[in-house]
Amino acid sequence: MKKTILTALLTAGLAGRLCAAVAEDSKIFTPFFDMTLSEAGYVPSAGNIFSGGNVNTQVGLLSKITQKDQLFGLYNFNYTGQGFAPQDTRQFTDRSMSHNFTFEYRRMLNERVRLRPGVSFGHDYSRTGANEAWKNGLYNMNSSGLQLAGDYLFDSDKNGIVTLSYMTKYVKFPNYTDLLREFQNPDNVAGVNGNLQDQTLKQLALRPSWNSFFGGLTYTQQDYKNQKVVGSDGVYNGTKQKDKTATLDFGFHHSLWIFELYPMVSYSMHRSNQNFMRYKFLGATTTDPLNGSSDVSFVAKNYDYNETTLSVPLDLNVTSKWAIGGAISVVSRKYTDRPKRDANNDYVAGTTQKNLMTTLTGSIRKRINDVAMVRLFYSLVVASSNCKFEQYMPYNYTGNSFGIAYNLSY
Amino acid sequence: MKRPLLIAAALLFTGGAASAGVDWTSKGMQMAGEIIANPAGFLYDFQQDLESTTPLPPGKSFGVQTGLWGGILPTLAAMPSISGKYRLHAEGRLAPGVPQLDLIGGYWTSPLAESATKNSDTIADAKFNGYYMGAVLSSSVSPRVRTFWGYKRSQLKARARFLPNSNGKYPELLGTELKSFDTGFKDDFLLAGIETPKGVGKLWSIQLNYGLKTQTFSTKVSWYGKVFELGLNIYPEGVLVVHPVWNMHLNF
Repeated sequence: MKKTILTALLTAGLAGRLCAAVAEDSKIFTPFFDMTLSEAGYVPSAGNIFSGGNVNTQVGLLSKITQKDQLFGLYNFNYTGQGFAPQDTRQFTDRSMSHNFTFEYRRMLNERVRLRPGVSFGHDYSRTGANEAWKNGLYNMNSSGLQLAGDYLFDSDKNGIVTLSYMTKYVKFPNYTDLLREFQNPDNVAGVNGNLQDQTLKQLALRPSWNSFFGGLTYTQQDYKNQKVVGSDGVYNGTKQKDKTATLDFGFHHSLWIFELYPMVSYSMHRSNQNFMRYKFLGATTTDPLNGSSDVSFVAKNYDYNETTLSVPLDLNVTSKWAIGGAISVVSRKYTDRPKRDANNDYVAGTTQKNLMTTLTGSIRKRINDVAMVRLFYSLVVASSNCKFEQYMPYNYTGNSFGIAYNLSY
Repeated sequence: MKRPLLIAAALLFTGGAASAGVDWTSKGMQMAGEIIANPAGFLYDFQQDLESTTPLPPGKSFGVQTGLWGGILPTLAAMPSISGKYRLHAEGRLAPGVPQLDLIGGYWTSPLAESATKNSDTIADAKFNGYYMGAVLSSSVSPRVRTFWGYKRSQLKARARFLPNSNGKYPELLGTELKSFDTGFKDDFLLAGIETPKGVGKLWSIQLNYGLKTQTFSTKVSWYGKVFELGLNIYPEGVLVVHPVWNMHLNF
């Protein structure tokens, strides 16, 4: 579920990059290349050391057909390796890889209004360890979609643009099966347990930007094609799962004297009609699923949460080549209905689960030339939660990471 | 003002706990397990250290290269190699904007490893070799920036047979008797990268290589001049993630 949301946000982000690519007047073809690469070692307080990296590569070509008509094609490769992650999102050892293709036609209707219809295709892989084949990932997915965006250009000197975009995607998970259903009814076949994550994703976004200030309001709706909602009796009823996420974000990138600041803040509200049935062990039964201490417990609105993220990176440009950087990043998630769990996996009535992850980073950045830079960094992560059941996912830990990152953008 | 400072101080103090408890034995076992699960993939990372997948510098018609060091191996001795590049088309020669086209390829083998097995009591015979070939397109997008795209086919073969000792026991790895292995790697790769000057006669590049069948991928960051290339190859899904690389090349 989380992976799909990430994809949606990535697509929204991609739309921003697409918009940023500008044709040079003298050229029919303008290439677009952006590559970010990082590799880090991780030392968590619980568990062993590991290493992980991130690679994001965008290769695109903008072609100017006439003064008013342009075509843009972009390929995006993204890899997210092992690493610390906010609680309830993924395990340290999870890794994912995606290939996304976007084709966009741009038409200037007049001096201020531009239309951008487009299509996109994607293939995402995921796996939980190095010895698992990418093609077998439970959450592997294929997607295809349409997009229509409209830009209003109100200040060409300071890149003032307001973009209203609508996107719809069909997302298919070919490998996904429901292990709970297989456990409950071994006679079920893959045809019944499979295709449960398949969904249609719709996204509406309004994003203004001006003078390196940017922000936006994004609404995403996920309509599951087959996944039904589980009831308090542990049986899936006739209602299909539907998730809605609204996100408000704001940020800027500005320099003042030797200081270069690019903070970002966002607030998300995620709502789902899906519930959760917690089984303490294989074969657990109960007569009172509403009791959080029983072997089988029902949690209504288990997935509803509000999340705030804040990131404040600051670079001090000591010379034209060298900079010293510092950053603080905070991710705070508060569930609206899910009670916290104690160390025995019992839900505590009258409480709600709260997660907090704070990352402090110090770095040294060197600008290699006009288009490339390298950064050495050290990060300290402190994750805390009032959920104390950590058999499957770490909720309370500290961790150190140190690594190197390259960025090249043209 | 006090509050952020207190939070920062608290975070720094709690961070000490994170450095405790590194289990190197367990980490070594995990890495050994990954090598056993995919020995060809592990060896192929060293082959990629030797592969020359950047375009010829502008104005050069052909070039040769050999690997000196890759990862943890002195590749010049452990897996001597020869790579070559040949320019089929110089940028803009046929028509303005038509990119440069280079053919690339190379071969390596390991006579040292093979001869070492002749005097070994535990290895009957061994053979290691590999090759790659492909083509690279490159196009200047500004006086200081050149992008390149390409294709390569890579293949690696690794085979060894082991001998039992006087008790009839074969060498053990993680508690398992090893009688032989015969493994290989073959894939078609797409690559994309960008190159910029670092100084007079010196270039810096970053590239991504992606295998279509195995989903093997790597990133290469390289600095190179007229004779030597220094690189930092990163294999995010490999056993040895970061490979420092040192290659020697001559372009004419």
